[in-house]
Parts: sequence; structure tokens; C-alpha cells
Amino acid sequence: MSSSVKAQLNELNSIFLSILKKNLSSDAFAWLNDKADQVRTEERAIQLNQTFSQLPKHAGKSTLVVSEDDATAIAAMVPGFSLTDWSIDRLARVWLLMQVPIIDKDAYLKKINGLFVASEMNEQVALYAALPFYAYPEEWIVKAENGIRSNIGTVLEAIMYHNPFPATYLSENAFNQLVLKAFFTEKDVTRITGLYTRINKALQDTLSDYVAERTAAHRTVEPNIYQIIDYKTQTI
Amino acid sequence: MCCNENFQERNEGEKIQTTLDLNLISGMKFFDPHVHMTSRTTDDYQAMADAGIVALIEPAFWLGQPRTGVDSFTDYYSSLIGWERFRSSQFGIKHYCTIGLNSREANNEQLAEQVMEILPNFIFKEGVVGIGEIGFDDQTAAEEKYFRLQLDLALEAGLPVQIHTPHRDKKKGTQRSMDIAIEHGLAPHMVIIDHNNEETVKDVLDRGFYAAFTIYPFTKMGNERMVEVVKQYGSEKIMINSAADWGISDPLAVPKTAALMVQSGISVKDIELVSYGNAITAFGQSGQINENDFGTIKTVDQSQKFESNSILRGGQQPRIDKNSIIIS
Repeated sequence: MSSSVKAQLNELNSIFLSILKKNLSSDAFAWLNDKADQVRTEERAIQLNQTFSQLPKHAGKSTLVVSEDDATAIAAMVPGFSLTDWSIDRLARVWLLMQVPIIDKDAYLKKINGLFVASEMNEQVALYAALPFYAYPEEWIVKAENGIRSNIGTVLEAIMYHNPFPATYLSENAFNQLVLKAFFTEKDVTRITGLYTRINKALQDTLSDYVAERTAAHRTVEPNIYQIIDYKTQTI
Repeated sequence: MCCNENFQERNEGEKIQTTLDLNLISGMKFFDPHVHMTSRTTDDYQAMADAGIVALIEPAFWLGQPRTGVDSFTDYYSSLIGWERFRSSQFGIKHYCTIGLNSREANNEQLAEQVMEILPNFIFKEGVVGIGEIGFDDQTAAEEKYFRLQLDLALEAGLPVQIHTPHRDKKKGTQRSMDIAIEHGLAPHMVIIDHNNEETVKDVLDRGFYAAFTIYPFTKMGNERMVEVVKQYGSEKIMINSAADWGISDPLAVPKTAALMVQSGISVKDIELVSYGNAITAFGQSGQINENDFGTIKTVDQSQKFESNSILRGGQQPRIDKNSIIIS
């Protein structure tokens, strides 16, 4: 990890923490910090697993309140990312994931993957929402591709909405699948980060076929689709 | 599960095309604390939501045939807290579950050992309201061993226990289950004894356990009998469930029984307790049930609406007209 990325993550880490402080009760905030200390030092993943699961009980699930200053700072630091519509427990979970030590790559991957294996529905949402903040980003590409195959609406949204990971790291094929799936599952495509930077001929062709298919079946089409089909990219 | 093989007789009978009238319970809300949604269709979810069911508990059980490897259990438990939870949320029903190794598969000791090792990965998850359904089937030594181990696990985790009582030799099996629970230090109020009948209920209530009744055609309780049980024993610590699964069972057993109770003159307060409140009190001891979640689940999972129009975004399922032969 380059030192600039590291510095940026550190800064993000402290902004997240200060947002959490404003949103959590003092008891819950103290509990979370205490657990995070243990997560930073434990060799195994017992505290991580337990804290990750128990978070909603302590943090609650209300919608996160984010000040305009914080939102602006975050948008400048991670373009395309935002905490819009996040619940408090989701941010607390993502922040906790950022506390897992990354020096030993194998141990790090094993810990995060372990959380995926036994994840509950809302845990999956947090695990996928955290994609831009994991270390070793190339290791999470397959995970993101699998997540797009999910039929759980909230999981799809965690990957698609305001999440810069897919546009940055997914192959053309995988990113095209994400966009197609968004139309198929009637998602709000305007929230897909980096959509217009990744438009390509294959995607436009497939979307045109999709429009033809829908029209033949006398079904409606999401109007935003035409903007993508007609979009002139430099490579075309 | 029911194992009748009289399908010819059943299928040749008069085809019934009536609409269920649940006006008697209109506006009431229900909690079904034992229903195996994995084996039901989305139509059932729709019908349950329409009948007033706002929350349910899906106990872990066997899948109709024995599993052969531990990964099958991992995937099953993970589907109870993942996919099935989402499926339910699409109909505005809050989905909880209990996690455990069922009695039948406890008899495969080699596999049972591996399942015991993965249970701690699931029992602390959000929405897991107990260890269950566990207990006796054939009442073998292996069943007893894993029943005891899971009681210890429940005690350690501070979770309620949902105990399946056997179909065969039920009375003795029920007493034995309670004796063992006490022996392991569980407080009776932390234990829900399931599938009771007229022969077991008195003993269960006298000893301070929760008594659950499964309204399930042909093999368990009928709801006319259930009405009589409530008339005799009242509503304290009694709850009803459907235990609907792959057999000929009824996911609307709870609201239907409530309707029959209204008709039979049982007080609204008693009906509310046996079809809603007592289950929440019992399983709520897990610290995992918040009644406020029942209402908010709709807004949580329907937040996918576009700002300015009302098209549903992957949340609530659109409704289809079942009485139309047109499928669009």
C-alpha cells in the first residue's frame, strides 16, 4: 500500500470515527472503541466475529446523520463514495473492518473471508459496502463479482450505489453484468458510481438488445437506459 | 411432516375454490414462532402477510433427507439468516430463526461433531432468537448426547431453547426432555416445549415451561382441540404455531386458529397472547426481538424507490391477480 493511500485511509478512518461519535450513545461508542482495540491486537478472529455480529444491538439501526462538512470531506477523499442512506450500524461495521490488521496478508484475508462465510443479510450489506476500504483490493474482485450474482436487493445496492469499487476494479464483462443486473432488478442506475466512465460498445449493444426484448414483450423500459445507449464514448 | 400416501383419494376429491374469509380477525397481528419457510412458496408469504402475520421464527430442522457433509449445514444456516430473511422482508414479514442440530441428524455422530463446531458461528447473529429445534426423535443415545451439548451451549449464550418433542412415545419423551433441561441448569422460562397436546400440556405448564402447540392437520393438533385447550388452561405461557413445512400443513394456521377462537368466544386478550404476545415474551429473552422492527422492515427494504416516482425497486413484491387466467 502506498504511503498516500495509507494517509488517506487514516484520515477517512478518523472522519468515520468522529461521525460515529456523534451518532452513537457514549456507552455504545466506548464499547465499540474497546472492541476495536481487541480486534487490532487479537491473533484469531473471535472478537472481530462477535463484535461484527453484535453491533446493531449496541449501535441501533437508525439512519446515520452526517454533517455537510463531513459529507464534503468524504466526497473529496473518495470520489463517488457517499454515506447516503447508510444506517449507523452499517458505518460502525465498515469502520470496524478498517481496524483489522493488514500486515499479515493471509491472516487478513482469512479474517474478512470468514465473516463473509457466516454472514447474516445486513452483515452482507456492510461487507460489500466496505469493498473500497479493504486492503489488497485486487483480492476482492471475485467477491464483488459474486455479490452481483446475489438476488438480495439490499446486497446489490451495497455494491452498486455510491460504491467506487466496481468502476475502479471490475473487468469490462463484470462491470457490464452489474449494469445489466441493475436494469433487470429495477435499480436506480443514476446512483452507480463511475457508470459513464465505463460505458463500452459491448454494454451498449446488450442494452439495445434488452430494450428490443422489452419492447417486443410490451413491457416498459427504464428511460435512463437510452442515455447510456446513446452516450458517445471516446473509444467508439 | 405428514407422510400420507393417499394422494389418489385426495386428488380425486372435489376441487375446492373458495375464498378464505378472515374478517373475524381483520386488523389483528400475528407471530408464528415455528414455520419452515424454506419449504414454502412466495405465495405463502403473500397469504401470511395478508392474514396479518407480521413476524415469524424459522427453526433449523432437517431437509427431508439426511445431509452428508458439514458444508451443507453451513449453507443451510447461512440461508436462514440471509436469503430466507430477504425473501420474507419482501412481504413485510420480520424473519427470525433458531439455530441447532436437529435430533434426526444427531444420529450421524461423525457429522454431528462437525456441526457442533460451526454452531457458534451462527448463534450470535442478529435475529437468531434461540437454539432450536433440538430434542428427541427416536430417543437414541446419540440424540441425547447432542441435545445435552446444545443445552449447555444455550446456557452459555444466554439463549432460549426451542424443544421438538417426539411424535412417537411423546409423553415420556416430553418429560425426559424437561428433566434433562433442568439437570443442565436451564430455567424453565427459557425453554419452549413444542408440539404439545392434551396429554402433555398440564405437566409442561406446571413445571413452568412455555407450552407451544402446533396446529397441523392429521398428525398434530387440530384447531378445534386448541380452542378447548385455551378454554381449560387459559393463555399464560401458551403459544400456537403452524410448523408448516413440506407436508400437508398450513402456514395460515395461526390466524385461522385465532379466527376460530374469536368465533368461540375466547377473549381478545387471550387470543393476542397465544397468537402473538407470549412468543415475543419467550423468544424475546434472547434480546434479539424488537417489536418496532416489525413496522420498519417495510421502509428499510423498500427504500429503493426512485425519489420522484412510486415504482418499486427490488423491495416489496408486486401483486398478481390470482383469479385471472392472464399472466402478464
